[in-house]
Amino acid sequence: MPTPSGPDLPTFEWLGDAALNVRTPLARELYASLRAQPLSGVLEAVPALDLLTLLLDAPTGDGAVQEAVAARLTTLTPAPGGSGRTLVVPVTFDGPDLDWCAAHANLDRAGFVAALCAAQLEVAFLGFTPGFAFLTGLPGPLRMPRLDAPRERVPPGSVALGGPWAGVYPRETPGGWRLVGRTPMNFFDLSRAAPVPWRAGDRVRFEARA
Amino acid sequence: MSPSRGGAVGATVLRPGVQSSVQDAGRRVRALGVPAGGAADPVARRLANALVGNAAGAAGLEVTLGGPTILFHEEALVSLCGPPFDATLDGTPLPLWRAVPVQAGQTLTVGGTARGLRAFLAVRGGLNGHEVFGSRATDLRAGFGGVQGRALRPGDHLTWSPLPAQAARRAFIAPDLRTPTGPQHEVRVLGTGDLTPDLRDSLLARPFTVSAQADRMGARLTESVAAPRDPARPSVPNVPGLLQLPPDGRPILLLPDAGTHGGYPTPLVVITADLPRLGQLRPGDTLTLREVTREDAHAAHLTQERALRQAEWMLRQAVERGK
Repeated sequence: MPTPSGPDLPTFEWLGDAALNVRTPLARELYASLRAQPLSGVLEAVPALDLLTLLLDAPTGDGAVQEAVAARLTTLTPAPGGSGRTLVVPVTFDGPDLDWCAAHANLDRAGFVAALCAAQLEVAFLGFTPGFAFLTGLPGPLRMPRLDAPRERVPPGSVALGGPWAGVYPRETPGGWRLVGRTPMNFFDLSRAAPVPWRAGDRVRFEARA
Repeated sequence: MSPSRGGAVGATVLRPGVQSSVQDAGRRVRALGVPAGGAADPVARRLANALVGNAAGAAGLEVTLGGPTILFHEEALVSLCGPPFDATLDGTPLPLWRAVPVQAGQTLTVGGTARGLRAFLAVRGGLNGHEVFGSRATDLRAGFGGVQGRALRPGDHLTWSPLPAQAARRAFIAPDLRTPTGPQHEVRVLGTGDLTPDLRDSLLARPFTVSAQADRMGARLTESVAAPRDPARPSVPNVPGLLQLPPDGRPILLLPDAGTHGGYPTPLVVITADLPRLGQLRPGDTLTLREVTREDAHAAHLTQERALRQAEWMLRQAVERGK
């Protein structure tokens, strides 16, 4: 039998003695699988784009975890629907960079807002600050260059575009993305049973409000 | 003797110290963008808790550089583990690495230390605090956990969970178990896929100085190296002890409050057994990075863990027998 090879095969890279990077187009499916059925020795799985970083509960000198992950991956198939959940995020489009972004996309303001609300976005992963989601799926014309110098303070709830990503700042932080609007939704609220309402794999749609 | 119910309970912070915060073993929700947090010197945290008969992950006070002054309203059993901080109880020197009984009305004062950076003050029963994602650790940047998500201030009230009172028994902790403190450090590291021959030469060949930018997020080093630049580099998850190389070339060693993801090259990771040392890096200390193999790292962890678990077990036995 020929040795399996191809662009879709996972690659593994150790990150220190107690963490393993797994690069695979099935990273999202692997994350969901490990959440549903944890793997012995794996303390935390942290998603990024086509990457899952596994933090182990102790350093290891052997390849047992890698073998177990490889075996788990063979049981998974691509799930185009992500997690199956869709979040609708209401947005007031009045951000300071809205007109700049519309011009950059060669659209008028209404056309730009309509295009952004039509985009099928997905939570690729969370990071940067608690509850901040990197949303993937922006059509090419809506991808905006980041600011040359980040703003020192971005107001909470700001809806922003940066590079291939869209995102919502859950709290006031510095930020280098272009601000197109704001949402009343709070993506890090410790008074709720689930403080962070979205997870990697969730679908997201922006909805313009008056 | 039990605390007088109806009277004052807990303790009051008279002076907060440079930066004192409630910490425990931290949280595990990086997938939600939430940093781990937790005591920066986990060895001090574990041994301090064992000395007073607490679970290893119980919450205590992490003190930094200069400690707090605390007035106790009820009796307690405390232990202070870490670098040689000056500490007194009602003016009498308080021994470190010991379980020490405190009477109602006594004042604990933790002063400064000439070396090292952080100590852990455990109170039998474990400190109370705002629990978020299963941990009471204070996230100073995001502002949650511990006491109102911030470092202590004068007038703050500390309380702890009731546990049956225990007498302090003399128990000895081998000094070589304690996390080494400066002014000179050697920390063992493993290379990642980002470690080029040039970076290996510039990062591993010479000592670095710990800069004044050393907080719970990370310790920045003073000297710079030629850093690869890749503005399109995607953000990837961070792990404890990662060495980050921002564009200015001054390396940052990541500590428990570091963000969950980063977009800079990360050529080295400190081995698990040496992570507690990062919590003791003090501005002005020198630091040398030494590359080892994954097998070395694994062996170092096993040796350390075996010794720590044995010490924790013996200390708990001492507390039990001290009834």
